[in-house]
Amino acid sequence: MNFVVPDFYPAAAEIFVAVMALVIMLASTFARRIATALAYYLTQATLIVAAVVTVATMDGQVMLTFSNMFVSDLMGDFLKLLIYFSVAIALLYGRGYLADRSMDRPEYYLLTLLMTLGMMVMVTSNHLLTLYIGLEMMSLSLYAMVAFDRESARSTEAAMKYFVLGALASGLLLYGMSMLYGATGSMEFSGIAQAIYHQSANSTVLVFGLVFVMAGLAFKLGVVPFHMWVPDVYQGAPTAVTLMIASAPKLAAFAMAMRLLVYGLFEIAEHWQSMLMFLAVLSIVLGNIAAIAQTNIKRMLAYSGIAHMGFVLLGLLSGVVDGDRHFALNAYSSAMFYAVAYVMMSLASFGMIILLSRAGFEAENIDDFKGLNQRSSWFALMMLIIMFSMAGVPFFIGFFAKLSVLQAVVAAGYIWLAVLAVVMSLIGAFYYLRVVKVMYFDAPEDSAPIHAPADVKVMLSVNGLAIAVLGLLPQGLMSLCAYALIASL
Amino acid sequence: MSLALIVMLPFLGAVLPALMIRAGRGACAIATGSVTLLAFALLLTHVPAVLRGEVVQVGWEWLPALGLNVTFMLDGLGLLFAGLILGIGLLIIIYARFYLSKDDPMGAFYTYLLLFQGAMVGIVMSDNILLLLVFWELTSLSSFLLIGFWRHLPEGRQGARMALAVTGAGGLSMIAGMLILGNIAGSYELSVILQNRELIQASPLYLPALILILGGCFTKSAQFPFHFWLPHAMAAPTPVSAYLHSATMVKAGIFLMARMWPVLAGTDAWFYLVSTAGLATMVIAAWIALFKDDLKGLLAFSTVSHLGLVTMLFGFGTPMAAVAGVFHIINHASFKAALFMNAGIVDHETGTRDVKRLGGLLFLMPITATMAMIAAASMAGMPLLNGFLSKEMMLEEAAQTSWAGQGWIVPVLATLGAVFSVAYSFRYIVHVFFGPKRDDYPAKPHDPPAGLWLPPALLVALVVLIGLFPETFAGALVRVAAGAVIGAQVPDFHLSIWHGFTPALWMSVVAVVVGLTLLRLYPRVRALWQAGPHPEAKAMFDAVIDSVVLASRLLVLGLHNGSLQRYLAFMIGAAVVLGFAAFFGTTHAPGGRDTLPVGWAVMVPWVMLLATALLGVVLHRYRFVALIIIGVVGLVVSIGFVYLSAPDLALTQISVEVATVILILLALYFLPKSSPIESTNGRRLRDALLAGVGGLGVGALAWAVMTRDFATLSGYYLEQAKPAGGGTNVVNVILVDFRGFDTFGEIIVLGVAALAIFALLDGALRGRIARSLEGWVPDDPVSADRHPIMMVVVTRVMLPLALIVGVYIFLRGHNMPGGGFIAGLVVSIALIMQYMASGFGWAQQQMRVDYHAMIGAGVLIAAATGIAAMVMGYPFLTSAFDYFHLPIVGEFELTSAMPFDIGVFLTVVGAVMLALAQLSNMGLRLANLPVNTRPMDFDPAALRADGGKER
Repeated sequence: MNFVVPDFYPAAAEIFVAVMALVIMLASTFARRIATALAYYLTQATLIVAAVVTVATMDGQVMLTFSNMFVSDLMGDFLKLLIYFSVAIALLYGRGYLADRSMDRPEYYLLTLLMTLGMMVMVTSNHLLTLYIGLEMMSLSLYAMVAFDRESARSTEAAMKYFVLGALASGLLLYGMSMLYGATGSMEFSGIAQAIYHQSANSTVLVFGLVFVMAGLAFKLGVVPFHMWVPDVYQGAPTAVTLMIASAPKLAAFAMAMRLLVYGLFEIAEHWQSMLMFLAVLSIVLGNIAAIAQTNIKRMLAYSGIAHMGFVLLGLLSGVVDGDRHFALNAYSSAMFYAVAYVMMSLASFGMIILLSRAGFEAENIDDFKGLNQRSSWFALMMLIIMFSMAGVPFFIGFFAKLSVLQAVVAAGYIWLAVLAVVMSLIGAFYYLRVVKVMYFDAPEDSAPIHAPADVKVMLSVNGLAIAVLGLLPQGLMSLCAYALIASL
Repeated sequence: MSLALIVMLPFLGAVLPALMIRAGRGACAIATGSVTLLAFALLLTHVPAVLRGEVVQVGWEWLPALGLNVTFMLDGLGLLFAGLILGIGLLIIIYARFYLSKDDPMGAFYTYLLLFQGAMVGIVMSDNILLLLVFWELTSLSSFLLIGFWRHLPEGRQGARMALAVTGAGGLSMIAGMLILGNIAGSYELSVILQNRELIQASPLYLPALILILGGCFTKSAQFPFHFWLPHAMAAPTPVSAYLHSATMVKAGIFLMARMWPVLAGTDAWFYLVSTAGLATMVIAAWIALFKDDLKGLLAFSTVSHLGLVTMLFGFGTPMAAVAGVFHIINHASFKAALFMNAGIVDHETGTRDVKRLGGLLFLMPITATMAMIAAASMAGMPLLNGFLSKEMMLEEAAQTSWAGQGWIVPVLATLGAVFSVAYSFRYIVHVFFGPKRDDYPAKPHDPPAGLWLPPALLVALVVLIGLFPETFAGALVRVAAGAVIGAQVPDFHLSIWHGFTPALWMSVVAVVVGLTLLRLYPRVRALWQAGPHPEAKAMFDAVIDSVVLASRLLVLGLHNGSLQRYLAFMIGAAVVLGFAAFFGTTHAPGGRDTLPVGWAVMVPWVMLLATALLGVVLHRYRFVALIIIGVVGLVVSIGFVYLSAPDLALTQISVEVATVILILLALYFLPKSSPIESTNGRRLRDALLAGVGGLGVGALAWAVMTRDFATLSGYYLEQAKPAGGGTNVVNVILVDFRGFDTFGEIIVLGVAALAIFALLDGALRGRIARSLEGWVPDDPVSADRHPIMMVVVTRVMLPLALIVGVYIFLRGHNMPGGGFIAGLVVSIALIMQYMASGFGWAQQQMRVDYHAMIGAGVLIAAATGIAAMVMGYPFLTSAFDYFHLPIVGEFELTSAMPFDIGVFLTVVGAVMLALAQLSNMGLRLANLPVNTRPMDFDPAALRADGGKER
């Protein structure tokens, strides 16, 4: 039997990252004394070079390779670039935090890189199996990272819960995938789509497959009712890891939703849209209401993240109305824009928590933000921008994200859904503004000066300002999202 | 262009006060004032064009994808409001310079004020409703900063939060409404939307859009029942109250109603919603205002009342009512801003705003008193002042309006509102300035410096001038503004003092007489009021907030109590619900594929499978028993494979089963022998239910899938195994040839996993875990006869046999069931038996092979096979085969896959042995048993001699 050598060119970035992961593993074994610093800088360099490689191999065409299991298109490249960015920023924020708690071992950076690779594979998958492999690669790295603080019982418990629930979700996903394959006879997304289009698919099995695939997807996105892990893991994981979980993987999960639902199952959009509606409504309602009661800011952001993911789903579910598809592009690009905006805000908000934490002290309660304005008015302003943006206040990126998703929902005719989302955002505004209130109106309980490396301070400021500036000029990012989708669909 | 500049100037200028405050308070105020003045001047340059009836427009695209554009327009309505905002803003800036004390951060105050001003101007001049929304939210935020300006006052912070919560909520409701409206009209440009009255009113979405938009307007303009936030916002510094709560922010809702009047008004829904809310607000707020002792509280409720009046007028939906509404906006802004500033002066100079501690100020503060009397009289609607004119017009309209078919309701209630209005206006005059002088004022009262009284004085002058010469001073503006509201031809009207003996005049007379009587009988009326209920809005607001927080807390407690069991139950439950939803959502007839015949050979294993599964559930707490049962399940499954003609799978299944059972046995050795019951009965019932339902669902699914035809890959492999791979055992050919690369990866994984287990256990043997386990004693007594002679003999005899079987299975692999993987497992099982039967030390001595090296060698051999193909010029792992003929042996086959299979074999043996041997070694060490070096190291004679004690 002959073995055909595939075209490696479209996967250059993935291959590079995989090779670098091995290089870093070996390098840090042999260069023990400088292993941590070496691993950190090599990881950052890898991310930068990967970005260069991705840009260099990007040509706007849809390229398939590895027996059509791998696709390189503009949406994938765009999301990959964002993933490198957010992983690099998360590493930068988290480095000091890890060092303060003696967790900055080379393995951490190695796991980060493997997680990145997993996400890249997810983003570029054109096949159920590649998607699954990428997903597991990302998840397994994350499980290990959550448990990275081996001395902390809370982290270990969080990792255990994450792993057990995650394994169950993977099982459901795999189960669903096997049924999709059984129904359509194909594991390739385009093959699945064609089988459904030619009505050669077994519709009963197909719908069951869809249901279970959706359950796995919902788990990764962290939406209700598959969200149970989110608050516990966000709270239990070291903040640097929470930052990681709450940023780039959301983009990967979005890509997963796009590949599975839009590329593979677009023909039965009406089926999955109604399921997404169920998930979105529950997430937005529960996320926002539950966030109110939280006193731990990591937990609050976890619930807020659930609600934000609900908003992303709102965009995804507005694509096809009564068989009419011409809203689809608009709706999906609004969801993508929302996901990107959320990742920016999420990075910044957990970055703020890291900024206020120091060795032996975790600034994880909302009360720890009391009087921040008196301690550092600049970072209080940054946090204000972040919170306002999350609440969806005008002139910040979060507002336009909400607006564009809501427009898509209204255009699709789901008025009640738009009203519900708006009402729930209002409840959301309540808890975000509470943070602003304690920062500006309350007296500080903690008067220690804010110590952080200069690079973290600069990056955090850039991050906060970006949220504000992109709030004034969101046009560029929005059209990028739309353009990436047009070129890939 | 200059239109956009008018909006942008306050925003750009907002940095000035923050910078100029270093140069002193005066410089700061001048900088702020000049920004506003410049904007005002720019606005004035457009007045001629607007008065000619033109609409000035300018705009750029911002986010065309969202329909959000930066487009501004200036028409009569915009001009009126922008004029009020900038003009009164200028006066407030001057006033605030003298009002704020030295300790207040004035730079921040002016910055907030300018931001607010910019946002307000933005609202009234936006041509795009999304842009309008943006500015709308900005006013909520900047007013939050202004109301909460005095941070040291808790009521200031609370008031600010309440104001933000209510107006912010309204703003969000309006976003939804505007999105719907834009969706109906197909554009978010006001100029387009205003042309589409019929389209919008005919749409089924008209009512939801109307309600949502009115939600925004009513909250912003403090209409009943959302009026409660405004009085609490009075904790703000007086300049803020005067600005926000007389002329600007609370008028934003009114403005929007006026702006949307052409498209939304004129329907029954509009009439009943708007005019009813307005009427109720007007009467209720006026009644409450009468009893407020805080001067600003009194003015706050009177503001609410007057806003209700304007709302009611717009609600009537008739052109003349709209004219009256527009006119009253001007008048109210002028006299109410003056009164607020006046109340601020009284507060500033006497140290209190409490009416009960004031009185007799007439001769102590003559200028202040004069202004107060004029402005309050205008508020009461006394003739010759501007308040009178618009109130007459209001009463005139009210007299002609019937509500739900009843002609008397509106006029009577409107008159009642006017009665209270007269009463509280005169109370402001009489109880503050008249009466005996007191000697217990907190500060010595005197007239303020000119900076404080000049700004209100200008407004008072306006009150008189418009009152006397309405047509000259307000006619043109009212006409053009009303024109913008009505959209069509403005009705012919003439603003004048005397209209003859109209019904409105008589209603006014009644209002004045009854109102003054009420004031005369004030103590008795007040007693009456105090006997009634006083719903405290703040308490209710707090109660709502508290109950939301409580609900949230309960929800979180119920859902996220941290229990993994509960999470799992939720997740499986959700999957089951989704699955059943799909089941009932589609056709669910069984497929048409015929089932296979059922004979006893199927029934027996099937029953066994069921029985063992059931036993497993019942006996799962006894861990060893459960393990054996699981082993039985595995064996039954392998019988199934045999029955379905898959001997390879059966072989693999059996050997894997044995290896894993041994592995788990060794691990269970360290754990308690049974699991305790930890869950309550209820929880176990829940779990049983979930498991049952889930199992049924999965069973049904399996049935559904298996009764349908499906394409399989097996045909391709069956056809190609011999010609392409040179073997007839398809499974083996797939493993070592078709998917050789996968297998190569798998053995690497296997080796890595074994190394990981070794590393973990090795670490455990040395480190902290070993120390903590040092005192560990097995639950059950260890058998005295550690290595029964029978086991030793049997395993040793079996070893050569087992090895031969392994070689046999390996060699026949390519054509018959077998292969490197199974052979590896068989050999490892034979070897591990030696460890178990004869003891670790002895076996280790005999077995000199380093398992690490074995794994490495296996992987290397497999890799070398692949690379050899590359050397020959073929791609990695290309296989070749040929048949040879030797004498005696006969024909046999050699394939390049054979060495690959050896690699597989070596890796499997190495991996299994490394893991199992290490695990058993650990058990011995931790049990503090010596690792024996000889077999049969137990001497029964010694036992007897010791009297039965273990050595």
